[in-house]
Amino acid sequence: MIGAQRVDFIAVPTRNHLRAAEFYGNVLGLERNPNSMEDWIEFETGNVTLALVNTDTHGREFNPLPRGSVALRVADVEAAKAKLEAAGVEVGDMWDSGMCNGASFVDPDGNGIMIHHRYAPYPDGSQPDEEG
Amino acid sequence: MQVERAAFVSFLNQAIARAKVFYAETLGLEVETEGDTDMEFRAGQVTLDVFHPASVGQPFALSPAGLALRVPDVAAGRLELESKGVEFDGETVDTGVCHMAFFRDPDGNSLMLHRRYARQD
Repeated sequence: MIGAQRVDFIAVPTRNHLRAAEFYGNVLGLERNPNSMEDWIEFETGNVTLALVNTDTHGREFNPLPRGSVALRVADVEAAKAKLEAAGVEVGDMWDSGMCNGASFVDPDGNGIMIHHRYAPYPDGSQPDEEG
Repeated sequence: MQVERAAFVSFLNQAIARAKVFYAETLGLEVETEGDTDMEFRAGQVTLDVFHPASVGQPFALSPAGLALRVPDVAAGRLELESKGVEFDGETVDTGVCHMAFFRDPDGNSLMLHRRYARQD
């Protein structure tokens, strides 16, 4: 086995890294980490790093993340949706799967992100809010 | 808005049984939940949700997320995956702080083997 230990980062493609950094830092409220470079800017979600990568300066074709690619856990989806909308973000209708609820939106480059909250216990009986 | 963590990261796959073989057997990730159209794998501290987009009425689209799997040794990991038939995109890159080797899952979603060797400041 290759011995995969963890996910070091997920690349979020952008064609305007300054606009993207403003969104992830100020609208989503994520903390920028010190590994950032000018056109590779890293933000922390709590358990995994999102790397905003300028595809133009990295010689990559730009394609956005599909809808709901990164689910950001929040305590209250409805309240978070209202805050995003107050900041001018268009957020889709809130859905409820019977185990969790969520709502989708896109970042300024069109990358699909979701606010999400699981309220049902996991199959092993543990509660979502008990996670580290 | 206070983000607590990433609940999961999603990749769309159009053949879940094939995705199971790739993620569980080829990459060796632990299966968290298993269904006919949706599976979850544990990638270290992150849940990777792999689902068939038609099951929720969503069009298929490739993810360019380049999910960076930390491995002890990128060269050794690459050799092992190549021996299992995984094709890599280009040579392994040495950025000066880390090694990266790019590959795709059977549906074309982008991943990489990654190992930072430079000390964090």
